Amino acid sequence: MIRIEYQTQRLSLRFFLVMLVLFFFQTGLGLMLAAQHIDPTLLAGTLNFNIVRTQHLNLAIFWVLSGFIATILFVGPLLSKRELAAPWLIKFLFYALLAVVAWNLATQILAQQGIAGWWMGQPLLQEGLEYLEAGRIADVVILIGFAILCYVVLRTFPPLSRWNEIHWGLGLGVLALTAVWMFGLFFVERLDLQEYFRWYVVHYWVEGVWEVIHISLVGFLLVLMFKADIKAVGYAVFWGISLVWLSGLLGNAHHYFWIGTPEFWQFWGSLFSALEPLPLIFCFWHIYLDAHQDAKPIPNMPAFAFLLGSVVLEQVGAGILGFTMTFALTNVWSHGTWVTASHAHLALFGTFGMLGLAAAYYAVPLMRGIERFDQRAGRLSFWLVFTGMLGLGFAFAIGGTIQVFVYRTLGLDWFGGDVAPAMQVTKILVPIFGIVFAAGVCLLVFDLLTLGHRRPVVSNVPEPIAASGEFATRTRWSNWMTGWEAGLWLLAMWVFGGIITLGLLSFNLETVRQGSAVFPYMMAGVGYPGLLLVTLFFVWRFLNSLEARSQASLGLAVAASPAPAGAS
Amino acid sequence: MSCKPGELCHEGVLRRRALAILGLMAIIFLALSAASFVDSRGQVVPTTITYAGHDAVAGKRVFQAYNCMGCHTIVGNGAYLGPDLTKLYDKAGPAWIEAFLPSAGNWPTSAAVKLQLQNKAVAAEAGVDTIEAYLEKYPAAAERISRRGGHATLMPNLPFSRDEVGELVAFLKYTSRMNTEGWPPVPKVDGLAFPQAKPIPLAAQPASVTAASLSTGAAQPASGAALGEALAKDNGCTACHAPTREKLVGPGWGGLYGSTVTLADGSSVVADDAYLTEKILKPDAKVVAGYEAGVMPSFAEMLDAGQIAAIVAYIRSLEGRKP
Repeated sequence: MIRIEYQTQRLSLRFFLVMLVLFFFQTGLGLMLAAQHIDPTLLAGTLNFNIVRTQHLNLAIFWVLSGFIATILFVGPLLSKRELAAPWLIKFLFYALLAVVAWNLATQILAQQGIAGWWMGQPLLQEGLEYLEAGRIADVVILIGFAILCYVVLRTFPPLSRWNEIHWGLGLGVLALTAVWMFGLFFVERLDLQEYFRWYVVHYWVEGVWEVIHISLVGFLLVLMFKADIKAVGYAVFWGISLVWLSGLLGNAHHYFWIGTPEFWQFWGSLFSALEPLPLIFCFWHIYLDAHQDAKPIPNMPAFAFLLGSVVLEQVGAGILGFTMTFALTNVWSHGTWVTASHAHLALFGTFGMLGLAAAYYAVPLMRGIERFDQRAGRLSFWLVFTGMLGLGFAFAIGGTIQVFVYRTLGLDWFGGDVAPAMQVTKILVPIFGIVFAAGVCLLVFDLLTLGHRRPVVSNVPEPIAASGEFATRTRWSNWMTGWEAGLWLLAMWVFGGIITLGLLSFNLETVRQGSAVFPYMMAGVGYPGLLLVTLFFVWRFLNSLEARSQASLGLAVAASPAPAGAS
Repeated sequence: MSCKPGELCHEGVLRRRALAILGLMAIIFLALSAASFVDSRGQVVPTTITYAGHDAVAGKRVFQAYNCMGCHTIVGNGAYLGPDLTKLYDKAGPAWIEAFLPSAGNWPTSAAVKLQLQNKAVAAEAGVDTIEAYLEKYPAAAERISRRGGHATLMPNLPFSRDEVGELVAFLKYTSRMNTEGWPPVPKVDGLAFPQAKPIPLAAQPASVTAASLSTGAAQPASGAALGEALAKDNGCTACHAPTREKLVGPGWGGLYGSTVTLADGSSVVADDAYLTEKILKPDAKVVAGYEAGVMPSFAEMLDAGQIAAIVAYIRSLEGRKP
């Protein structure tokens, strides 16, 4: 365990705690949305669905950003070998964040009265655009917040000549975060032009900026956790970011298929966004390499579990599920249905949410000066959150497939009378998996908030190493994982991804258009559960294999392990 | 993979090439973007669209102010609680949307749509002036009326003003004119023939008072109040007026008769037969405090004196039940 060397690293703690609180409320709002989907009259007129959904989306953005800020503040001094610049600005940033969250909570409800606060053509209070619902006042405060973050990061970093790839990734990341935000600061009269610029913010944030920050932070956390070689990680970070931009820049075209922009986008979008999984495969492979570059035990299993979850769900949610609906011929069906919600939940929470949680599990014990902590709650919460989210993805995907058939193929557009009743079972599955997820969130938030403050359980405080001693017998699930095996798991995920893609493609078949749902339902029925179960078992296998080497290092049940597969 | 010390290394060259390709891609992207919004493409722009004197840009502001995207999708983007609105104007037509929006909690009846067609501006926009021709021209309106008319919807009533309704219709007129490259796909089958289209149980169907049954008197309800109740339902009155004191869109009818009503100009008036009859014929003649003029349409062309008397009798019969 490293010790806190730079006192300003401790400023990240408050951002981690705010992240957890916002995450907790966002999950609660998600459960409420699930209930309102089952009974849309619930709270109608008091707290309409659109208000709850807006907060669900906005808190998701706020807590992911809090996690980014916290992690950047925590690693900033380590990357720069000096204290953070302008700590007072960081404190100001913290209160500005709280204020803007509270302000946005208060102003969004005005949508029920149709009050946007128009002034000089701009909506000051709320603007009713998906993901960018915040009004102009909040927008400007957020812009100032981003500028502060840029200033702190760039002033803290060493001179440009001494930057490595992680510095470049984070430095460009925070600058681009600010730059891209500005495209959402104008009211646009044309719907097509407005959607064009709205995706600048949403797509380029997620696939251009957040992913760059994500890759850089995952890279540096791997350096911290595994003492991975910073050169090797830097190589991965450079090519990861390059591939993200090479595919994602033109990949944005997949949002321009049906918004009133010309047909040629369908060619460019289908081609380049099909390449978007490449950087994710690359990252996936690197986390395997870095985790296996030595056989040392992992002292902080929850932190690593969430980091692995982040990279794997990025692969599955963003990479594979994104791929299935990225072609004009599949997107024409999935667009505007629950199929996309499946992708969005797995990709956004998985990739960015789990990274923040991983960083919190890594940094919070260090800042509270805890050498060893009871990791059972952390591990359990990981599995609850992970399976809950996979289940949610499953429910949305199957519900979405039914929705595509009933709504698009049959052309029935009565949501209350025809579409929602057909989706009813999956609409009930959402809160069921949601409760599993929420249980994990409650446990995780409680664990991290009270870590080091609550009395340790006297009877059985498992030290990290002793804890894994419970696995007295080594099964095949806990053998050393070879590169071949990891590749086979990845291949299996993509095979199911291929089945899902063909399922969406089959909506174009004449038999389906004539009203037979057999093909798409069968393919979705095999593809989605297959993909999500492979994902679940792969993570189980990976973590088991890593736990087992803690035992190996203790000399418990040492079996001949093959040498680590080709380190980078 | 990465360069080891002392190895011959092409990493720097590779990296520079990657950045050069990235620059090329940025140029392609910007060129495609510029080509997307040139005038010669012929994509419709909202500044050229008006509907009955309302402006589509103003409609877009209303659309955003109520956060419609938080429940519906537009060009497929937004939330999935309600249907996509992009082509609604083309399918259901302006009169149906005009009838729907002010009392979104209830599906419009045929009479409610017919009432909107009395408005010359709406009829001109619709291109037809009889309900029969309208339902033929806008089959989605016919389907909505026959399957849902008179029932409660799952959408809450929103406090749209008269102008906001017109502006929203203008915005939906604009979106339905947009070329969205064939999205959403046009179904090749009639979905209503499939089991997924749930038939409405007969018991739940609204009691229909047809003109024929009134004139022959064969199915005429016994008392005036009962006839008035059926007429109120059929003409869509109940979409806005509850039989209790509850305010849906307009004032609840429970206990209204004989009560003293405060008007917007500060004066007050007793809600008697003459007042209620006037409200039905000329709703904006006396505006009640707390309500906006122009939301309620006039029923002068829809109802004759006897029918209005029956509806007033029905209102008279309603005690002030608590909601």
